[in-house]
Amino acid sequence: MTFTPLNIILLGVIALLGVGFYGLLITRNLIKVVLVLQILIKAVVLALILAGKMSGNLGLGQSSAATVIVADTIVAVVGLALGVQVRRRFGTLDLPKISTLRG
Amino acid sequence: MAGIFVALVIALPWLGAIAVWLVGNERPRLQHTLAVAFSVLTGIISLVLLAFASSEPAIQVPLGKAFGDLTFVPDGLAVSLTAIAAVVGSLAVIFSVDYMRGDEQLGRYYFLVLFFIGAMTGLVLSGNLLFTFFFWEITALCSYSLISFYNDDPKAVAAGIKALIITQVGGVGLLAGTLIAFTSLGSFQISDLLAKASSMPSTALSLIAFSFLIAAAAKSAQFPFHVWLPDAMEAPTPVSALIHAATMVNAGIYLLARFYPAFEFVPAWKISVILVGMISALIAALSALTASDLKRVLAYSTISQLGYMVYAIGAGGVLASQFHLLSHAVFKALLFLAAGSVIHSVGTRDLRRMGRLGNRMPFVRNAFIVGALALMGVPILNGFWSKELILEIGFENSPIWAYAVMLLSAGLTAFYTFRMVWLVFFGRERDYLHVHPAGPAMKVSLGILAAGAFITWLFFGGLNGLLSSTLPFHELERESLLEMVNAILSAPATWLALLIVAVGFGISWMRARSYALFGGGWLNPFVESSFGFESLNRLIVRGTYRIAEGLSLTQTGELNWNILGIISALLVVLIALWVWLGA
Amino acid sequence: MESIQYAVFLLGAVFCAYRAIVAKRILSATIYLACISALVSAVIYLLGAPQVAVMELSVGAGLVTVLLVYALSVVGDDALDPASVIPKPLAFGVVGLVVVLLGLMVYPAIQTNLEKGSTALANVLWQNRVLDVWIQIALIFSGVMGVLGLLSEQTSSKNKELPQ
Repeated sequence: MTFTPLNIILLGVIALLGVGFYGLLITRNLIKVVLVLQILIKAVVLALILAGKMSGNLGLGQSSAATVIVADTIVAVVGLALGVQVRRRFGTLDLPKISTLRG
Repeated sequence: MAGIFVALVIALPWLGAIAVWLVGNERPRLQHTLAVAFSVLTGIISLVLLAFASSEPAIQVPLGKAFGDLTFVPDGLAVSLTAIAAVVGSLAVIFSVDYMRGDEQLGRYYFLVLFFIGAMTGLVLSGNLLFTFFFWEITALCSYSLISFYNDDPKAVAAGIKALIITQVGGVGLLAGTLIAFTSLGSFQISDLLAKASSMPSTALSLIAFSFLIAAAAKSAQFPFHVWLPDAMEAPTPVSALIHAATMVNAGIYLLARFYPAFEFVPAWKISVILVGMISALIAALSALTASDLKRVLAYSTISQLGYMVYAIGAGGVLASQFHLLSHAVFKALLFLAAGSVIHSVGTRDLRRMGRLGNRMPFVRNAFIVGALALMGVPILNGFWSKELILEIGFENSPIWAYAVMLLSAGLTAFYTFRMVWLVFFGRERDYLHVHPAGPAMKVSLGILAAGAFITWLFFGGLNGLLSSTLPFHELERESLLEMVNAILSAPATWLALLIVAVGFGISWMRARSYALFGGGWLNPFVESSFGFESLNRLIVRGTYRIAEGLSLTQTGELNWNILGIISALLVVLIALWVWLGA
Repeated sequence: MESIQYAVFLLGAVFCAYRAIVAKRILSATIYLACISALVSAVIYLLGAPQVAVMELSVGAGLVTVLLVYALSVVGDDALDPASVIPKPLAFGVVGLVVVLLGLMVYPAIQTNLEKGSTALANVLWQNRVLDVWIQIALIFSGVMGVLGLLSEQTSSKNKELPQ
């Protein structure tokens, strides 16, 4: 079990992913969901840079990471706008209460 | 050049569909105009495309290694079916201008019809099996939506669901065959399957052959999947004419014809095809004898005639089946549209309430009689030539008992057709019905189709040339129109068939004299239960509903549970990978 | 030596992530998110990608924090119900399994030799990945339209009187 820097970072990525998944399963508040998604995205960005470093093509890794950051910002913005509208219509942000789309 | 036409003939109806939908239901006249314009334009382009037929792909878009190339191949089989779909489609749309006048959901109707026309042309032109399946599913969706078009009528909705479930069984067959072909050949291209069929492992080829047979039987309402078509008559009549007589049900025939060279030598395939066609033709003809709903008689008649086409393919007569497909599309659409005029004006579909309408609707009566004569196979009309061609090829290449059954069905066809004509237009008036004459748009469609019933057999030479020159794997012989005419008129089988038809006609006429035309009483219970298939059907539909309701429990609608589902799926994938990689 | 730096930063990030998830108020969670951003950005810088590090810091610790605070001001920061829909052991178990499996499978795939020099971001972004830039522009445009549509006041649409 070698602990080179890259290995450490890989472990960090997986740990962040795990915490992010756990958070998505646990949280009950719509705004918190957007927040946990941000955590997951940070793990992804880190993974992309790591991959870029490993393959030697850091430029490609950086441009992919930049794209992901832009996309996730827009997701956050639109998600928060949705959250504001949900609050206006349903009066609550509690996930079980706003889940009216039943199968 | 051909590429542009191919793209147009698929894209134009779809653009028209979106345009009609966007215009909105507040402007019905604009919707009618747009729909007619787009469909007529598509029809014209499809006819132009006939001149550009070739066996080379007209459009070839590489899609990466996973899906192969997206190809559209305008060969003879494809462009002839495209022309039929587009031209009959435009006539049905023209007819709809009068039939659907005043309907509130015109946008939805035209969207679905135009969407369907585009999907049908895409289905036959596609050279990539995966995209054939994709277009196949779109036509199934449009068919279901249009059958349940009057969606506050529970009968229509039930008929739509039934049609959907049964044709989806066929869709599964098509997908399964496609995937097996992909694993054996590594490619989705139809030309690859046709070229390498003889070198494929025989179990794989047999599986594909029978899966495609199931798909074709389900789509073309053949035995044992024939029960959805009579119920599908709840759809508006132009839809019945277009989808359930002239185009979608031909998709199964197209599938069999396209892959005939690949499956020819699969053991027991050809005889299965002959059996399927023969049984369908017989039981549908028997069922038509007792039906009391005008459109149901026509539906059974469609199943029966499709049985003829399937039988022809089983006997090796791909050209004959396509020729009969052309004739059938014309005269069956004519019959449906004429029946639609009658239904629209008197407000009922029940044969027992109609009678002596011929005096009050002369134009429709004449058009209907032309279609009926073509269906019976009376000389000069197109039905005669194509049906005789099929019977002749069947006489040479199929077992004698199959030929005898087909001959009997021809007689039965004459019987029930005459019964239908008599009950609607002649005889005694059985109920007081208000009649208004057909509108101008209806007359245009009916007139063109009636003229077509007289003329389309003349295109035999052209059809033959088109098919034989652009289908390299089918090995069709070139036969000119005169040779075909000569062959038919000089074959003894022809005169035998004509004799049977005359006998059928005669018996029907004699019974008409005594007004005892309400069908064989002893046959009724068999027909009501669709020869026992209705119960199997109900079982399948109910089973599907119960499974669906059970599965809906997993759709809790709560985010956390959904995410748990996603992460569990990820876990399953990881475990599978771990086991597979042996780490 | 380098490994220790990375380990410290990443451990801090994971700790902050956990605190963000179990925080009782969303405002606290937002602060923790900003800390995660800073730490991850530091790691990215140390890996040799300075431009993305700056982007990550400014967007994560700046823009997202401001957005969340703004949303909270509109919505109101109610105390969160700590009970979760899915039983905690189940969530922990599933996620734990995923993490362990991922770690076991991906860990040996790391090549330990740090590769040679990298190509500059500007070159790659504007020459090879021009399509990405166009997609980002389209995304931003659609995001703006989406937010405008979502946050605008309700205009009564097509008040149709019943035709009589």
